[in-house]
Amino acid sequence: MTARAAAAPGRLRAAIAAALVILLVACPAWGSDGTRATLIVFAYHAGLAQMWNLLAGYAGLVTFGQQLFIGLGGYTLAVGAERLGLGVWPSFALAAVVAGGLAVPVGALTFRLKGGYFAVGSWLVSEVFRLAVGNSAYLGHASGMFIRPARSVEPWTVYYLAVGLLVAMVALVVVTLRSRAGLALMAIRDAEDAAAGLGVHVWRLKLLVFVVSAAGTGLVAALITVQTPFIQPNAAFSIQWSAAASFMAVVGGLGTVEGPLIGAAVYVVLQDQLGATGEVHLIVLGAISVIVMLVAPRGIAGLVRDRLGWTLFPVARRPPQAAAGSTTGPRAA
Amino acid sequence: MQLVETLINGCLLGGLYGLIGLGLSINFGTMRVVHLAHGDLIVLAAYFLVVVLVPAGIPPLAAAAIVVPVMFGVGFALQHLIVQHSLGRQLDRALGRGVLPPLIVTFGVSIVLQNVLLHYATADARTLQSSLASSGVTLGGVAIPTVRLVDFAVGLGSLGLLLLGLGRTALGRALRATSDDLDTARLVGIDPRRMYGVAAGISAATGGVAGVLLAATSTFYPSTGSEVLLVAFEVVVVGGLGSLVGTFLGGLLLASAQLLGAHFLGPSYGQLTAHAVVLAILVFRPQGLLPRTAP
Repeated sequence: MTARAAAAPGRLRAAIAAALVILLVACPAWGSDGTRATLIVFAYHAGLAQMWNLLAGYAGLVTFGQQLFIGLGGYTLAVGAERLGLGVWPSFALAAVVAGGLAVPVGALTFRLKGGYFAVGSWLVSEVFRLAVGNSAYLGHASGMFIRPARSVEPWTVYYLAVGLLVAMVALVVVTLRSRAGLALMAIRDAEDAAAGLGVHVWRLKLLVFVVSAAGTGLVAALITVQTPFIQPNAAFSIQWSAAASFMAVVGGLGTVEGPLIGAAVYVVLQDQLGATGEVHLIVLGAISVIVMLVAPRGIAGLVRDRLGWTLFPVARRPPQAAAGSTTGPRAA
Repeated sequence: MQLVETLINGCLLGGLYGLIGLGLSINFGTMRVVHLAHGDLIVLAAYFLVVVLVPAGIPPLAAAAIVVPVMFGVGFALQHLIVQHSLGRQLDRALGRGVLPPLIVTFGVSIVLQNVLLHYATADARTLQSSLASSGVTLGGVAIPTVRLVDFAVGLGSLGLLLLGLGRTALGRALRATSDDLDTARLVGIDPRRMYGVAAGISAATGGVAGVLLAATSTFYPSTGSEVLLVAFEVVVVGGLGSLVGTFLGGLLLASAQLLGAHFLGPSYGQLTAHAVVLAILVFRPQGLLPRTAP
């Protein structure tokens, strides 16, 4: 079962990935401040979508509660840097710990709900935190707080952090999916009971993925908060984060590694064209995700894969006979 | 005394909460879809009443009588034109791994509805101006706003109608058969697509009733749809999945928790208390108050 969906030669793929990374690292040489700002926005959206896709696309955990971890990560950075004086970077690392740590009880609770009820249940937990933060004088109530120590962070530092974070997340997802755990995850997504019957620790593995996704989302949040540097409960715990994440994963291609990257690019372009906060932007996003789900449910990456048989990050597996070129064997894309 | 007053008011408001949950429960009961645009449909009905019908000079009661059948049509059309197509896999293979498509689709519909309302009706607070909203009655020394009595009576009446309709009519039997066993229902000549359309229509019609009551009871905004969806979700989870009576009781419990929390801890803690009660029930009684008895 180690055969991979090998369509494009591995070397070409590695070369493309390497070229992309070099292009991103060399951005100060070719890009303007505007390019930098756009790429930062792209990187954190892509990271957000990658973490959502890890849950929905691989573990079968469709959630509209990722804003919980945006809020937790952001507030951890804010409290650490502004209130406790821990410094920006220790607080940054702490954001992953707090978001991931709190994901354990949150997951233990919300996993009691199945399917659509899980999706809304995690949204509910996020609402609890939004209301609680809004009631806290220490956290500045609903008007939020500034993170003054973060003002001295250089824009290029934020840029490299954003790019580094995104590359690390993609690498993490690829390595995880190629491992035994990745195989077990996809088994859970496709047939949970059968996976359990074959000895997969379904609950434990799901919780692990939930925690990893939460920690990653917490880091994304910390990055956004360093850049802003301001945080407010209604914006940090807003359902719009989950709306954006699901849009990017669905439009780009669920259950693929390149999907969230493509989706984030589409998202950033649309945001640029239609305005960041306008309702027209959101109407278009909502309509597109409905249309894509109905017409091309595997998204842009799925279309490319189906039409051209090409994929940048091959993590899917095929049964041996299909990989050997048999036309009669069952195909699993 | 104040405690009694708060509890009574909570139970009465609970009639509206229960009704909000019933629509979600019907949708899920029939086609196993958590309809994420349900809250927005309710708010859409409220806007239709307050922004279109009442300014046109139609008296509120007659306007309410227009809203409900129109919402049935909206629900039916939405199901046939959009939601149905996300269920393809589910229809073909009885119960496939199809939770994702309907969730994404109904969530997308929710975002579109909410922002269309924001675009055309602005973010201004709205409410239904009526004599009902300002009047009150005193029963045994307890002051009760009339509108809450109406909430309760209409909510309870709707529950009764639904139970009768599902339990005693041919259509109700067909709906329950579709819910219980899709393949066998097909064998005896029931068209599941039609049943799903009818169920979505009934769900949206209860949403129409809830929208009228919402408009009469409180102020609302385009974004109220999300809050209403969460209320519906909480009511269903508290009541126990798959039981309409349980859903209604869940409404009473949730509204009581909210008003008690607001009363004892302060107005900004009402919602938080209600959410906390739901999470506590999820920890200690995850099956809810009345799990799977009625249709």
